[in-house]
Amino acid sequence: MHGRLAFALLSPGLAVLVAFLIVPLAMIVVISVFTYSPTRIWVPLLTAENYGKFFHPYYLGVTWTTVKVGLLTTLACAVLGYPLAYVLARMRSRWLGLCLFLLVTPLMVSSVIRIFGWLVILGKKGIVNAALAAAGLGGFDLLHNVTAVVIGLTELLLPFMVLPLMASIENIPRAVEEAARNLGANPFQLFRRVLLPLSLPGLVSGSLLVYSVAISALVTPALMGGRKVRMLGNLVYDEVLTSLNWPFAASIAVVLLVFTVAVMVAYLRTLRALSRRGGMA
Amino acid sequence: MKILVALAVLIYLFLLAPLLIVVAVSFDPTDGFRFPPPGFSLRWYVAFFTSETFMRAFFRVSLLVALTVSVLATVIGGLAAVGLVRVLTRGRTLMETLFLTPIVVPEILLGAALFLYYSRLKISTSVAGLVAGHLLLAIPYVVRTVSAGLVGVDRSLEEAAMSLGASRAQAFWKVTLPLIRSSLLSAAIFAFIVSFSDINIALFVAGPESVTLPVHVFSQIVWQADPTIAAASTLQILLIAALLAIAQHMFRLRVAL
Repeated sequence: MHGRLAFALLSPGLAVLVAFLIVPLAMIVVISVFTYSPTRIWVPLLTAENYGKFFHPYYLGVTWTTVKVGLLTTLACAVLGYPLAYVLARMRSRWLGLCLFLLVTPLMVSSVIRIFGWLVILGKKGIVNAALAAAGLGGFDLLHNVTAVVIGLTELLLPFMVLPLMASIENIPRAVEEAARNLGANPFQLFRRVLLPLSLPGLVSGSLLVYSVAISALVTPALMGGRKVRMLGNLVYDEVLTSLNWPFAASIAVVLLVFTVAVMVAYLRTLRALSRRGGMA
Repeated sequence: MKILVALAVLIYLFLLAPLLIVVAVSFDPTDGFRFPPPGFSLRWYVAFFTSETFMRAFFRVSLLVALTVSVLATVIGGLAAVGLVRVLTRGRTLMETLFLTPIVVPEILLGAALFLYYSRLKISTSVAGLVAGHLLLAIPYVVRTVSAGLVGVDRSLEEAAMSLGASRAQAFWKVTLPLIRSSLLSAAIFAFIVSFSDINIALFVAGPESVTLPVHVFSQIVWQADPTIAAASTLQILLIAALLAIAQHMFRLRVAL
């Protein structure tokens, strides 16, 4: 009885997951070992050539850019996210609701709009360049470099760092901080010896989440990096829709998938550890 | 602590800067994307509401898809949450993990996989294809939010109703459902927003007939269009902010994330 009821309740969701997630992903894995054909896109002949192509210096370069942008973004999010998470976690006033609202709203707005805002700020005729011109300095190309892409991604993903971190800091009793202060710890020692170790699960889960989303970025490098900063996501997009080399696109997708799933599984583990320690959010 | 608060304000400024700039330049009477705008005009809003492509992308595609996704995801995800929290005993962790998998997979890979899948099946890239893709993104949010709502409802209330003669279905329908109404409504709002804001799936799956507002904004940016995109973006920001304010009023905002 219970089994049948559970199945009835879960089956619509399972049907969607199987039809639009599991089967399409399985198809990608299969196509990734098929041979590319310029006329028929792919033919069902097994090959490892698509994966071999990764070792070409150009694709290794793109992979390296992806990893580098992911790491820098994670670092920037951690540095900016920690003080913000701390202030929010220790906030008791009625402003907290508004602060959370202002943290989550940008996260839910389409990333295209936020990148568009950055283009207006950093573009050739953008606000920063206009201010520089007023100061007598010529126009600079502030976009099309790794820094620009990292700035854009950091702004996009910062809330992903702040939310788990905040939950983690909330679990540290204020008495612990006070005790450390009474025992003579300065703010740096307090952070290094007390807060950081105790909030590590939140920091780890925030970092894993930010990293896994950053390495699969597509719109940010496309609009802010242009031809100069290309990431794996841009390769997938171009191979699928422009070059029509689906087997190669599929092999990049599989590599990206294995990479992010590994990171995300680690993320979910730390999240579970976090919620066992005390109520997460 | 004062230094930290000042720092937090600066970080907020960084986080909100692009949105504030977009809103500001949408009122610029010139097409110079200047900040602060040299004047105030609703010119680009008029341009937005009189542009056939923008109107089509906004109402006939984005809004339609998001509303459909919101209803379907809330029903499908809500049923799944009831099954996971209330009925399932064996294999619950496995099922929970399965229902959260779409979040684990990068969105662009969902988009690319769906694109290849649809072309293999010779399904044209239509509005329905977009709805299916967005359901994948929305269902995990719904499952999480509704599960959190269900966990907060005391089971003994349903048992009391049943001991007073209600059937199991009646007890659920009359007792539990009204108690999780706010989490269901928040879930519907989140599902709507997730679909309405999506770019990564739509970029692959949307065909010429189903260009969503974010995709249209994207292509307009690539072709360096005028500030009509700022007006369109401002309207999207306002819509999402209003919906989130409602969700926050009813339920805890952090549960779904």
